[in-house]
Amino acid sequence: MRILIIEDEPDLLRSLAMALRDEGYAVDTAENGENGLFSAESVAYDAILLDVMLPKLDGWGVLQRLRNSRKTPVLMLTARDTSRDRVRGLDTGADDYLVKPFDLPELLARLRALIRRTSGQATTRIEIGEVALDTAARSATRANANIELTAREYVLLEYLMLHRGQVVTRTALYEHLFDEDDSTLSNLLDVHVSNLRKKLGHEFITTRRGHGYCIEG
Amino acid sequence: MVFHSIRWRLQLWHGLILFAVLTGFGFTAYRLQHANELYRVDQELQHRLGPVLEALRRPTNAERGGLAGPGGPDGARAGPSGSGGPRRPGDPNRPGEPRPVEGAFGDRGRRGPPPRESAGEFPYPREFRLGPNRAVLFESDANSFYYVVWLRDGRELSRSTTATSNVSRPDHVSGSRPVPTIRMRGTNRELYQFTPPGDCILVGRSLAPELANLRQLALVLSGLGCAVLVLGLAGGWWLATRAIRPIHDISAAAATIAGGDFSHRINTDNTDNELGQLAAVLNSTFARLEGAFARQQRFTADASHELRTPIAVILSQTQATLARERNSTEYRETLEACQRAAQRMRRLTESLLALARLDAGHETMKWNRFDLSHTARDAIELLRPLAEDRHITIQCELPSTECFGDADRLAQVITNLVSNAILHNKKDGEVRVSIRRENDSALLVVTDTGPGIPAEDRPRIFERFYRTDKSRTATTGGIGLGLAICKAIVDAHDGSLDVSSPAGSGATFTVRLAAIPCEA
Repeated sequence: MRILIIEDEPDLLRSLAMALRDEGYAVDTAENGENGLFSAESVAYDAILLDVMLPKLDGWGVLQRLRNSRKTPVLMLTARDTSRDRVRGLDTGADDYLVKPFDLPELLARLRALIRRTSGQATTRIEIGEVALDTAARSATRANANIELTAREYVLLEYLMLHRGQVVTRTALYEHLFDEDDSTLSNLLDVHVSNLRKKLGHEFITTRRGHGYCIEG
Repeated sequence: MVFHSIRWRLQLWHGLILFAVLTGFGFTAYRLQHANELYRVDQELQHRLGPVLEALRRPTNAERGGLAGPGGPDGARAGPSGSGGPRRPGDPNRPGEPRPVEGAFGDRGRRGPPPRESAGEFPYPREFRLGPNRAVLFESDANSFYYVVWLRDGRELSRSTTATSNVSRPDHVSGSRPVPTIRMRGTNRELYQFTPPGDCILVGRSLAPELANLRQLALVLSGLGCAVLVLGLAGGWWLATRAIRPIHDISAAAATIAGGDFSHRINTDNTDNELGQLAAVLNSTFARLEGAFARQQRFTADASHELRTPIAVILSQTQATLARERNSTEYRETLEACQRAAQRMRRLTESLLALARLDAGHETMKWNRFDLSHTARDAIELLRPLAEDRHITIQCELPSTECFGDADRLAQVITNLVSNAILHNKKDGEVRVSIRRENDSALLVVTDTGPGIPAEDRPRIFERFYRTDKSRTATTGGIGLGLAICKAIVDAHDGSLDVSSPAGSGATFTVRLAAIPCEA
């Protein structure tokens, strides 16, 4: 999952990025509205954390312009907590709204819920065959036996399972699982897929040559 | 409770006054009519007394036939000489109380033929003969008059057929003048007169028809009075309601506003009366209150907003860092971020406290005579390192100028203005601080060579939390209260703080304070 954080307070930006990377997200950051809008329009993020008070272009402006081109889920962060502000945020096209100061666990839970809803998943548990994924606990089981996964392996599995039945291109995987600082070696993805197959069974992930990967639902 | 309402009180007083006026009118009308009726009856009685008096006389010698009484020749004249006109209407008229009536009958020229009846029975010669043209006056009909004649010894000489048997002879007060006197006997009005010898003549009439008329009049008057009272009360109620309605509107509007809806206003369509003016005054008061309330609300919201950001930093930093083991560099970074956030909160709370004190007027200003140039020089010295960091030169022109005020607070003003000038300057820029005297004022001018302040922002830069850059200025670390505090301090000195920024070439802040005149 790849997240964009647009926040002008450097300390807050740093801690948010740290927390999200710890959770296995690929994180890009922007310190003002213009840069943020540029990134948001050029990459298909899975979610955007958007501060309202921003230099150059404020959060409302970013959201309004972004909605012209993309439906990326947006979680607004603001210190203004009047209901008028919330209504305005939600009406402009924000998907959720969080008032500063917030608890990080709540922010992460809302982010997970946002991504889950976007892929049409209602609960935190996804089951395909004998493999089950718990997106809240970030763990996977096969025939009720726990499977040890690295952070990258987990996000790869999560992404494929959230898009079950669809062919996910390598480009899409690169875009969603790696941030702009990652050194994207072309065979890195193949290594992760091969490791997942070892742990979950070879037939679980099918390769569509020339297209990408797929988990059949 | 009802009588605490203005409307009810108005109505009560209105009703009372109307009632008093109507009662007075009705009573007076009744009394007037009553007096008129009695006057008319009295007139008629007097008309009849004369003929009766004339009918009583001493028989002529020829008629008498030797029957000379010991009483002799007195009483030759059958009455006092009457004089004066009719009784004036409006005289007090007390029924039942005998009182004299000034002469009412003077017609004694015409005399009917002398009566011939039973003259011989009387101990002294008296006869009573009422001519037929006079007797008509006492014929029996609805308003039948009656007469009774008594001799001086109390015996009844004559009585009309219309007189009832219970008519009694009035008491003769000896020595009283022989004038006609009115008395009331039950519902009968009677006029009597004693002749000088002591004979008594009485004419009377029942007042029953007049009393019936008066009762009817009383009924009509009270009926009319009640109707007018009811109409008056209804009209008064309508008037009071009309007069009270704007008060109701005002009180309803005030209640709405007291309930928190500060945008509500009193409807002032009828502004041409006193209540309309009151409503206009209240509306302008409400508008000012709304403005003050909105400013206060915005200030509180801004203050809490400013506090939320550093708290969010501390919370997210600590939560993110504590989520797992970190190396010492990461811990250090987290602690530094927390420290920056805490410093920011400290600056903010100090500024808020300073403003709150200046607002409340509790801040005890330490009023002293001091030299503005010393204060400015000290403040600038403290800022030199900051200026050197940013390669800014500070030019000073500080002649000694004596002022009266709180030197510490004014030093804060100078520090704020000069550090603003340093922070909002171009690279290798210049800050010029000068003091000069203008009439009775000392002017401290701080000029920078920065980008200046856009015209649309200039009127608002002294507002609390107003920033020309709408976002937090993370780079300069300002919280948007510095100029507001400067303004509050200068205002507390009865001075002025102004800004000018000629098209994009730096900003000039001018503090004007009252100076102590140079000693000659």
